[in-house]
Amino acid sequence: MHESKWIPTVCYQCKAECAILARVEDGVVKEVRGNPRARGKMCVKGMAGITTLYSQERLKKPLLRVGERGEGKFREIGWDEAMDIMEKKLRELIKRGEGHKFTYSMFPHSTTDPKWRFVNAVGGFISTGLPHCDSAKIMAHLHTFGCFPNHHIAPMYFTVPKGGVMILAGRHPFGCLDDACVPHDILNAKERGAKLVVIDPIFRVEASKADWWIPIKPGGDAALFLGMCHHILKKGLHDKAFCDKWVREGDMDKLAAFLKDKTPEAMSKICEVPAADIVKLAEMCAAAPSVSVDAFKSIMYGNGMDWGHAWSILLVITGNLDNPGGQPLPEIAPMAPVKPAPPAPDLKELGYHRSGPNRAKFDHYTFFLEPTWYAAQAIKDGTLKVFFASECNPALSEMGSGEWRKAVTMKDKKGDYVLELFVVTEILPSETMKWADLVLPDQTNFERWELLYMPWWYNFGHTAAVCQPVVKPIGEARHANRVMIDLGKRMFPEYFAFKDDVEYYDIELSGVGMSMQKILEGGALWSPGTVGFRKYEDTGKFNTPSGKIELEWRMFKDIGQNWPSPELPLEFRRDADKFPFILVNYRTIFLNNTGAWSQNNAQLRDPVSGLDENPVILNPVDGKKLGLADGDTVTVESATGKVRVPVRFTERIKPGCAGIIHGFGQTMGKVAARGDWVGDNELIADAGSHLDEQDLRGGEAHVSTRVRISK
Amino acid sequence: MKQLSIMVDLDRCIGCKTCIVACRNNHGLVDHEKSMPGEMSHYLRVESELSGTYPKLAEDFWVVMCQHCKKPPCIKACPSGAIAKDVQTGIVRIARDKCTGSGKCIEKCPYKVIQFDAAAKFAHKCDLCYDRILHGEQPVCVEVCLADALSFGEREILLMHAEAKGKKVIKKKSTQSILYVKS
Repeated sequence: MHESKWIPTVCYQCKAECAILARVEDGVVKEVRGNPRARGKMCVKGMAGITTLYSQERLKKPLLRVGERGEGKFREIGWDEAMDIMEKKLRELIKRGEGHKFTYSMFPHSTTDPKWRFVNAVGGFISTGLPHCDSAKIMAHLHTFGCFPNHHIAPMYFTVPKGGVMILAGRHPFGCLDDACVPHDILNAKERGAKLVVIDPIFRVEASKADWWIPIKPGGDAALFLGMCHHILKKGLHDKAFCDKWVREGDMDKLAAFLKDKTPEAMSKICEVPAADIVKLAEMCAAAPSVSVDAFKSIMYGNGMDWGHAWSILLVITGNLDNPGGQPLPEIAPMAPVKPAPPAPDLKELGYHRSGPNRAKFDHYTFFLEPTWYAAQAIKDGTLKVFFASECNPALSEMGSGEWRKAVTMKDKKGDYVLELFVVTEILPSETMKWADLVLPDQTNFERWELLYMPWWYNFGHTAAVCQPVVKPIGEARHANRVMIDLGKRMFPEYFAFKDDVEYYDIELSGVGMSMQKILEGGALWSPGTVGFRKYEDTGKFNTPSGKIELEWRMFKDIGQNWPSPELPLEFRRDADKFPFILVNYRTIFLNNTGAWSQNNAQLRDPVSGLDENPVILNPVDGKKLGLADGDTVTVESATGKVRVPVRFTERIKPGCAGIIHGFGQTMGKVAARGDWVGDNELIADAGSHLDEQDLRGGEAHVSTRVRISK
Repeated sequence: MKQLSIMVDLDRCIGCKTCIVACRNNHGLVDHEKSMPGEMSHYLRVESELSGTYPKLAEDFWVVMCQHCKKPPCIKACPSGAIAKDVQTGIVRIARDKCTGSGKCIEKCPYKVIQFDAAAKFAHKCDLCYDRILHGEQPVCVEVCLADALSFGEREILLMHAEAKGKKVIKKKSTQSILYVKS
């Protein structure tokens, strides 16, 4: 009998995980849409998810490496053999007392993701599949006002009042990595009289819709904001009532002293924004009923923590915390624990950055996950022995691709790989898979169960959402969560006593008076619909050690980093003669960065419906200076890498910058491998190999790179 | 005059191409298993124009689909009488059973929006989701538009809405049934 119905579930074409509906006709997914109960939007990546689901290149059986790592040669094996290989190696590791040398790079879909539970049971650590994105933002907010540590806490644009200022600094929210309803909400806010200010060295779609585009020198954001803060305090334009009540005693005076020489004129020399514009933006922010700030690429530079600190200070002195249109301070849904839970090992004692020869350098490292960018170094040091990766593509996403490849192929005197086992779960062929020992076919969001309740979901459109299978799995694909639960049942039955993933989620949901069945009956969402504002007034405190806003980061006083430096990242301050261009690796809505499932999606790499090219972009002024013609194939070279790629001239980029989209360069999969495009991480240095130059306070922000370009 | 239309608001279009993929999915234009980039039919495309020189720049994005012309050249060009402008809605439709695959309509279309199915030899294009709009639904592209840049309805009423919002019709883009507006 013919059947067609819309089923609520969750998208996973990117990490935003928007709530969606899927139309399933006779067992086949035909269409997808945003779920109207959760603001009802879905972006182009999500729409193309059906192509990921049905691509003939789907991985359908577990694969075991037969050649050397990097050759990409495999033979099909059964699931039992695959499980035996993982169990044997992990048991051996634990027996050696080296459980902490196991790391799983993943994107946890909840704070109690079953994969994370498995890692804890082994005694290992996770590093996120979003290795370097915005941990500096997380840590800066956490240090300053105790914001719950999570990733994409975008400002809630639907709450921005008339006259509110929305600042995007190196941020591409129209790319929908927070939620597909963000573009619509920003445009609506503009229609009701909010102002959009875009600070970016590249004129992109957000800039085209902005009231004001401010081209900035990359890495100059901290200087710009410190100049603004200087002007606001000097003129007494700050929110005095808010600061008097909530800022730790003495911090405002210390801030004023620190800012004394950070004049707009002085800061202008660093960020290349005219001093008059710094003053204008400062006065705009001080007078506005709300200010929101969001950044992404800019927070990934070597001065990310300084920029995050300066940005946090501006939010505080203008009183823009947890107010409509300001910086939200989200809370997490109080799920019930599944007991007994394996205790997490202490990242301050163990973990690959803590147990190797460089451990002393990490004394001030306070991010709560392993620094992904240190993985290659850890393999070289022998402190990372077993590595699992799900929903990420480190071969392309790790900075210093060359060093990463060197590390994963390093052998000991006996001829064995130093990284003893490398397991990848994937949906479609990925660059990382080429280097893996074991490749496990994973399921798309259309085939699997998942409970999602991370607090980063933009605007709390869904506080908890259930991803449910809407069609039968393709081939022998198994969801990584289920694989880790099954492995957990073999190895740690006490921690995996529940029946399966669905029962695990059911127990958790009892914490909010829900069950999987109740949620599914309610449209696969649980969302009380309130975010609440100024919640610190209810509790009388911020989530910091002092309970107040801490502008000065006293824990870094001994290393002289208690206040933000206005300077550009170190890499941008030197070698300008040898490498005249600053590399700006930007993002696009059409691809989930290095994600193999979007790079190998024919609709997303189609020139009409996606993006199929990635030339290095230069301002025509620079092109002319170099004697290049538009379309020439050029050599782009950094201190650590070199690529050949076509060049395109465009007025949209600031002179002195060279732009390239992050995420290309895959050689696996016939869609992803199209064209002569390259990965930006071929040019970016491996941060682990030059630790002395890194800010090791917790921001994983080290992508700053200079390049030279020649024919 | 009876004429249904889509109004494209250039103040809101962000060129995200969500409409293109949603349209393809709905109309079954993609073989998800085998299609390769550059080989798939599409009833819409995104165009954009960057103007000015650094740092004074402006950029517009818009979508182009069948304009459901007032006097469609494709109708005149079709040797088999397969194309007609629907009297009730003003939608230009190609009758698949009558189309012989001559390709003449494709040559004559000033907007280059007519697609050709080489395997089954027939021309096809946007029909404003005729089968949906008959039952009170919106065309797929309008329903899914990420930026709410598209609106659907009687052309005259859309013009009234544009005027009320202080938006002007950009005649340079089209003088046919699809409206392009901007503040």
